[in-house]
Amino acid sequence: MLGAGGDWLMNQRFRNTVVKGSAGAALMALALGASASLLLAQSAPAKVPDLSGFWERRDDVGGGNFGGILEKIVPKASLTPEVVKANQETAARQAQGEVVAFGSKWCLSNLYPFFMQHSAAWDLFQTQTEIMQAAEVHTFPRHIYLDGRKHPSPAMLVPTVNGHSIGHWEGETLVVDTIGFVGGGGTPGGGRVGKNTHLTERFKLIDGGKKLSVVFTWEDPAIYLKPHTYELQYYKSEPGTYAFEETCHADDPKQSGSVVAPGQKY
Amino acid sequence: MNKPLPLPLFTLLVCPALLSAQSKSPDLSGYWELRFDSRNVPPASLIVPATAAERAAQVKHDADAIRWCHFFGVPYMMAWSPVEIVQNTNGKEIAITSPVRTPARHIYTDGRPHVSAETFDPTSTGNSIGHWEGETLVVDTIGFSEEGILAIPGGGTRTATSHLIERFRLLNGGQRLSVIFTWEDPKVYATPHTYEFRYYRAPPGTEAREFDCNASDAERAKFLTSIPGK
Repeated sequence: MLGAGGDWLMNQRFRNTVVKGSAGAALMALALGASASLLLAQSAPAKVPDLSGFWERRDDVGGGNFGGILEKIVPKASLTPEVVKANQETAARQAQGEVVAFGSKWCLSNLYPFFMQHSAAWDLFQTQTEIMQAAEVHTFPRHIYLDGRKHPSPAMLVPTVNGHSIGHWEGETLVVDTIGFVGGGGTPGGGRVGKNTHLTERFKLIDGGKKLSVVFTWEDPAIYLKPHTYELQYYKSEPGTYAFEETCHADDPKQSGSVVAPGQKY
Repeated sequence: MNKPLPLPLFTLLVCPALLSAQSKSPDLSGYWELRFDSRNVPPASLIVPATAAERAAQVKHDADAIRWCHFFGVPYMMAWSPVEIVQNTNGKEIAITSPVRTPARHIYTDGRPHVSAETFDPTSTGNSIGHWEGETLVVDTIGFSEEGILAIPGGGTRTATSHLIERFRLLNGGQRLSVIFTWEDPKVYATPHTYEFRYYRAPPGTEAREFDCNASDAERAKFLTSIPGK
């Protein structure tokens, strides 16, 4: 689109134009300047950083594994007494050998932000009006609308695995606002994601574009006593990286049997 | 007397041309809908018509994929609305997403070849590379797995030896999108099987949908596996 505008200007202003002498040169310079200014104005949206590509986590802190990394770099969430109590009850059941989560057994969709802390790379696609993140794990693509739209009204909001995300650029930082989660997921640092949880993320390239910083801030008065904020950093994957596909078969006895304690009914 | 243009003028003159060259590919990005008149699917010419038992096995395979929420893959995901095309501004990759349970398609347009068969783990969406032939995006896909729904519109099934070529082209001033699918498979088709979908551009403000799938839903499982009315 930008190029088409440039072509149009060039065609209209300079096709078959004969420029002679200093006056002609001045006219040409003026016209070229105007053309360039318009082009620059048209290309302004393209000046935002290009975040596209595959991004992956690495162990910079000696965590030993991806969960260990999170334990080292993510502060503990400050949770409401109700959530603390619920967590303690769940931990007690687990200590008695009960399996309390069946997402893996049934290959349920991984809830956001699971793929952002997973070991597998994720791929970010970028246009001027939308950013889409494609993960390898069992979940849906995440769509972040940059076209100025608002969140749907509560009556129209359909809860989804990744929530409803809108974003805008603040200088070189992409700020993403998300509501509308289905609820039931968790965050690093022991936080939870409920149906009324609000997430703000700030995406920014660092180290000359070799890394991507994402600062997450979770807010929900039913879950957090204060906003739960942490930063994860991602490395740009090597050129030529391609997507894998992580399949999950709930009808495979090895899959379903892997998370069920002996004798447990469900 | 001709004089070389001063550097600033030269820059102003040449840069727009470079910008223009970079952005000449049509922008397919957006949400696209299939409607009742969007499909032109002739019957496929199969090498050997499937036996009743083979057809039953294929139907069961695809029904199980739905019952157990497997990744559905290509071509099934292309037959839902809306599909979204996200064409990277930098021109290196294009994604296609679908509301059904399937990973996004990754179409690499950075000039790379297919990943070698020795290296690539087959997937339900395959390994896709694309290039532009004028205003047509040509996508070449191999490396399919037997994951998901295998039925191909018009007859035949996706197999490990399937080769799919798709030609994406905007019509009607960008309001419609033609995708011509051509499947080749020495184990399935006597001649290449070609059909066309023509998608409608979805209204502004259209959003992605998630048709989630819960294999643990007993009522859903009963509905899908029982005989209706019994």
